[in-house]
Amino acid sequence: MEFEFLIGGSDRKVLVEPKEKTFLFHEGADTWEADIRFVSENAVSLLVGSRTYTAYISRDRDSMIVHLNGADYVVAKRDEQAGGSSAREDKELAGKVRIKAPMPGKVIKVAVAEGDEVRKNQTLAIVEAMKMENEIKSPGEAVVTKIFVAPGALVDSENPLLELEVKAHHSGT
Amino acid sequence: MFEKILIANRGEIAVRIIRACREMGIRTVAVYSEVDRTALHVQQADEAVAIGPPPASESYLSTDRIIQAARATGAQAIHPGYGFLAENDDFARLCEKENLVFIGPNSTALCLVGDKIRARQTMEKAGIPITPGMKSIPSNLAESVEAAGALGYPVIVKASAGGGGKGMRIVAEEKDLKPALEAGMREAKAAFGDESVYLEKYLEEPRHVEIQVLADNYGNTVHLFERECSIQRRHQKIIEETPSPALDPDLRNRMGEAAKRAVRAAGYNNAGTVEFLLDKDKNFYFLEVNARLQVEHPVTELVTGLDLVRQQILIASGEKLAFGQEDLRQSGHAIECRIYAEDPAKGFLPSAGRITFLREPSGPGVRVDSGVYAGWDVPIYYDPILAKLIVWGETRDTACRRMARALDDYVILGIPSGLSFLKDAINHPEFRAGRTTTAFIPKYFRDWKKTEKEKEDQGRLALTVAAFDEIRKTTGPDGSPARSSRRERPSPWRSLGRWRIGGQSHHGV
Repeated sequence: MEFEFLIGGSDRKVLVEPKEKTFLFHEGADTWEADIRFVSENAVSLLVGSRTYTAYISRDRDSMIVHLNGADYVVAKRDEQAGGSSAREDKELAGKVRIKAPMPGKVIKVAVAEGDEVRKNQTLAIVEAMKMENEIKSPGEAVVTKIFVAPGALVDSENPLLELEVKAHHSGT
Repeated sequence: MFEKILIANRGEIAVRIIRACREMGIRTVAVYSEVDRTALHVQQADEAVAIGPPPASESYLSTDRIIQAARATGAQAIHPGYGFLAENDDFARLCEKENLVFIGPNSTALCLVGDKIRARQTMEKAGIPITPGMKSIPSNLAESVEAAGALGYPVIVKASAGGGGKGMRIVAEEKDLKPALEAGMREAKAAFGDESVYLEKYLEEPRHVEIQVLADNYGNTVHLFERECSIQRRHQKIIEETPSPALDPDLRNRMGEAAKRAVRAAGYNNAGTVEFLLDKDKNFYFLEVNARLQVEHPVTELVTGLDLVRQQILIASGEKLAFGQEDLRQSGHAIECRIYAEDPAKGFLPSAGRITFLREPSGPGVRVDSGVYAGWDVPIYYDPILAKLIVWGETRDTACRRMARALDDYVILGIPSGLSFLKDAINHPEFRAGRTTTAFIPKYFRDWKKTEKEKEDQGRLALTVAAFDEIRKTTGPDGSPARSSRRERPSPWRSLGRWRIGGQSHHGV
């Protein structure tokens, strides 16, 4: 069986071969053998040689987190990734940028109006989450083209607060 | 003794108080907002009463609904925990009027120490050194500008009703003063319902050392030694320990006696904490009285062997302290790490969401005070504290090693937590050497990123796990490849889908 994953941003292709009670894994020229069992829905026990590891898994819709020795690895299946976040980010670089809240929260203040010119790091809005105010700042010199929210609105981290037209670098000034 | 206590709080502290009550044979009433119906404190109490919509101002800060809940359930006393109504003297007075015992200081003392300005005046009169700063609430911006100029920048904006870093802003120069005052007032208003702020001189790189005090209703007062709480971010403590590496027996004794003098001057009873700043030359300055059970109270419990919540309840029910100062000893060393739903790599940005997996550490000398469980949706409305990890060791070194081990054993998935950050902080040579000041995090952890040791090897292991997980979807639960496809079953995680994980209905605009 062959699988392709995106792990922490890099493509990994692996071929898996069952071998009695263990599995053989092949990646490029590397081969390793692992005795691997689920110990619960979210925990996997691995034996590689005599070395033991426990991995914890948290699954999301199109990705999962594998937690190993204090490190988290975001793992996405390659085929489900097409048209995903990287494509969206490319589009954002082309002038129009949609600014999202970094976390779910409540809009306390919108500090700009549509049509305003803003500097880099200028405060655009203030979003409160868990009793802390977080200032949402402009990523660059830009014009505010659209505002989607009003003070008091509850926002998540996926829908935009406002849209900016970012100016090309080194122009004007 | 009380037969039933209402806990006017949520999260880990409500669970902590419920535990003490259960051990004392006291029945408990939880209160909850609409988003907290399935919260841990509701599950653990004997009774639970809904008190309104998610925003704290309409639920956990609603004095009328809480009093009503106490009446309806026949509770005789209310424990406010920390935050919310804990230091609200109007609420304490209302309880007194309604014949309910407020488990905390009397309303007069609470009013006095809760007003940071009046507390400073009282302490100055009692001969306790205070930090330079304003002695009244400024009535306009010009007054603040003038005061800041006289104190000399940097100054710090503080909420008069404040605590927990809410409303605080450091101001380095005059042009930043106005926005800092405005933000401080908004935050203070939201957190405490009182927008009064004032300015103090900002001492750079002090240590934050506080003294725990217990005072019964008959004038008996003891101190339970110090807690060192210098490791802070956003003016909020994240690592606390006792004893403080900075104190010797003489300084400890002087600070302890000053703390006792402070609570006597304020006519204070029940548990309280007197906070001091300690400068490089070991001068200490009164900062404020925290008129509540502190978040970090467990470290004191581990070195003194006392249960502070139990002591609070005993004092509130009219019992005398069963021990004097000479009966108290500090034994060993205790450290607490606060576990917050926040991402230290992104400026400690708080983040709500579902905890998809939780594994708590255990073992000798390890205590977890938690308010969450796997499957719980951490709401956006409240303080992001999830739990506290507290360890005890014979020495500071043993306690540090134990904390590092316990942090290693702690796994929280689905939302960010500061676990790897805390481990790096505990293992930092400056922390190990006991050189802890409030500048520790800004100085050594400004651009902290998770260190990924054995990255290559681990990436391969993650790949191994991911591939195995895919294989298991078409085989048996033990991954045995020989099983027939009739064992195939859809992963419940996939069928749950996004709507459970990120799409809380209250996010609709």
